[in-house]
Amino acid sequence: MAGLLRVMSGLLIAVLIAGCVSRSGEEKKISGDQEAAAQTTIEVTKLDDSDLNRLISQRNGRVLFLNVWATWCVPCVEEFPDLIRLHREYEGRPVDVVGVSADFDDEIDSKIIPFLKKHNVPFRTFVASFRRQEDFINGIDRSWSGALPASIIVNPQGKKTFFLVGKGTFDQFKNEIDKTLGGL
Amino acid sequence: MPRSVGKLAVLMMVFSVLLWAGESQKKVSDFSLEDYNGVKHSLSDYKSSKAIVVMFIATQCPVSNNYNTRMADLHKDYASKGVSFVGINSNKQESADEVKNHAKENNLGFTILKDWNNVVADKLQASVTPEIFVLNPAFEILYHGRIDDSQRENKVTSKDLRSALDQILAGKPVAVEETKAFGCTIKRVK
Repeated sequence: MAGLLRVMSGLLIAVLIAGCVSRSGEEKKISGDQEAAAQTTIEVTKLDDSDLNRLISQRNGRVLFLNVWATWCVPCVEEFPDLIRLHREYEGRPVDVVGVSADFDDEIDSKIIPFLKKHNVPFRTFVASFRRQEDFINGIDRSWSGALPASIIVNPQGKKTFFLVGKGTFDQFKNEIDKTLGGL
Repeated sequence: MPRSVGKLAVLMMVFSVLLWAGESQKKVSDFSLEDYNGVKHSLSDYKSSKAIVVMFIATQCPVSNNYNTRMADLHKDYASKGVSFVGINSNKQESADEVKNHAKENNLGFTILKDWNNVVADKLQASVTPEIFVLNPAFEILYHGRIDDSQRENKVTSKDLRSALDQILAGKPVAVEETKAFGCTIKRVK
């Protein structure tokens, strides 16, 4: 009996160690992803319909918070400090905070990057580059009229758990992200 | 025989209710608002028009402002064909004076009403500027959505509002009844 207990304790310790190793490996990967996201040189990538579909459906165990904004949109600009705070809040956790600009895709250098620099935006940013603007709008949410800003939260299974048109707050978004994260 | 007649009657009633529900969703009830000079206008004032174009617009929204010339041109081109244009400003932060000056500066010759309490924006569930509703004289919505498919006039490939108006004036059904585009959120009172 004592031998069996020794074997079981040994197994338990081994499992715990393995868990820690795998956990720390996962954390390293997450922090690597986030380092890439918080680019020192700001890059804005064009996002087409297959990119959007991939971004939403292939989550690799991570929650997505996606905000659609534009340089000309006053409430979007007002919302940015909360989005930056949100990004900082979830550093080291399986949450991607991502922005998609609704400016024209030929305005990356002239408008979008200067805006991101001015506001010290640390999270990954795309610009919507769809042949039909409507496809992007419907790709975010079919009920969305196109009014900016708009935000969605997607769970690790690629299912949308939250959609908001108009300006949100840090607490509101954090509450929704935490609900979506659940036990993660 | 009586049983099948009964079933048929029930089916007809269900169908009528569904048809009525579908139609009522697309119909707008009459409303009254004051323009930027304080003069009251009602939707029913435009009953004799061939179509009524209700446009939710703004003074401060860059997207809406990108369409000022196109809105003025649309009014100029279609007013003589029996189409009425009514602009509605539902933004809480844009005053009647601001709306008046903006209309003057941008040659917006159509009536613009101030929707202080968002009554009409709520009634039509409008959420963005610019956002267009085209109604027939019975106030049924025939077209809802954008003016065209690009804020940049030289990139427009689909003149959706013009197409809808041309089809209505030709007595044809509107081929594309619903469109979408980016715009500014209507800044509601609450």
